[in-house]
Amino acid sequence: GDLGPFNPGLPVEVPLWLAINLKQRQKCRLLPPEWMDVEKLEKMRDHERKEETFTPMPSPYYMELTKLLLNHASDNIPKADEIRTLVKDMWDTRIAKLRVSADSFVRQQEAHAKLDNLTLMEINTSGTFLTQALNHMYKLRTNLQPLESTQSQDF
Amino acid sequence: MSEAYFRVESGALGPEENFLSLDDILMSHEKLPVRTETAMPRLGAFFLERSAGAETENAVPQGSKLELPLWLAKGLFDNKRRILSVELPKIYQEGWRTVFSADPNVVDLHKMGPHFYGFGSQLLHFDSPENADISQSLLQTFIGRFRRIMDSSQNAYNEDTSALVARLDEMERGLFQTGQKGLNDFQCWEKGQASQITASNLVQNYKKRKFTDMED
Repeated sequence: GDLGPFNPGLPVEVPLWLAINLKQRQKCRLLPPEWMDVEKLEKMRDHERKEETFTPMPSPYYMELTKLLLNHASDNIPKADEIRTLVKDMWDTRIAKLRVSADSFVRQQEAHAKLDNLTLMEINTSGTFLTQALNHMYKLRTNLQPLESTQSQDF
Repeated sequence: MSEAYFRVESGALGPEENFLSLDDILMSHEKLPVRTETAMPRLGAFFLERSAGAETENAVPQGSKLELPLWLAKGLFDNKRRILSVELPKIYQEGWRTVFSADPNVVDLHKMGPHFYGFGSQLLHFDSPENADISQSLLQTFIGRFRRIMDSSQNAYNEDTSALVARLDEMERGLFQTGQKGLNDFQCWEKGQASQITASNLVQNYKKRKFTDMED
């Protein structure tokens, strides 16, 4: 859509790509999103560590946003290093939970699992391995039923 | 980072192997102990120690034990069992099955036959009375080892993985590689390489070729 006109000194909402581009051309100053604050992230991280299931994340793209903003605009974000560490802690906790959940899923050979509040990044990181392992397991499981005699060619 | 060609995957775990899959061809070449039920004329030339001698046209007598590759044994096996009867290799028998159920992680599956799961699944075609136990044992061994494969593949970034992979059979190694690839792609993204444009492997050789053209 159309954007602007931009008046200097007034906060304005623009798409992320434009914000990064303007920042690279040194034409703007980025304001951190509301959730990117040290106390809030600390609370979220502790909450995530206590809970066994996944807690809702501030944004479905929190990893990507953190990476882009901290790489291009770390001077505009207070305590950028701490934020980077906190987000990485949350990521590690969630990935560990995902692994535990995958392991118990395989061990009990369940057919269906529901995981709430997973972001796309986490799914993509562990997804390929899990689907391939489950494929193998499925094939091994179907071997449990007696094999029907294959139609071999009769000479 | 797309591949230059797509490999045909192994179908060995499922009902039938894939004819064009290299993994299946290698797997199928593994030997299986077998007992002949009828005499096989003139095959004694290949199995000199078993043949009945030159007088009987070098036949392999009935009841002799041979070791044939899987593809040959599968082809000759018939439900009416006129030609061959198959013996299960040791690792699929009762004794080893108890070892696997005790602790699947300890076993060196690569030494046991690098295609443990694939070969075992194809063995089920031979209608042994222990088929149900064999398939159950394959499944449980896989489930037991899954966790370790997952952890080791997802955490070993840029390290020498030969020690980790040494005890895995071929199918598990494929899984390990998928896990590694996922990890590498993630690290690639973190470093920002995902948004850089790199020359594809197919194109990198073009410059070299141009040189030789000019020399001609």
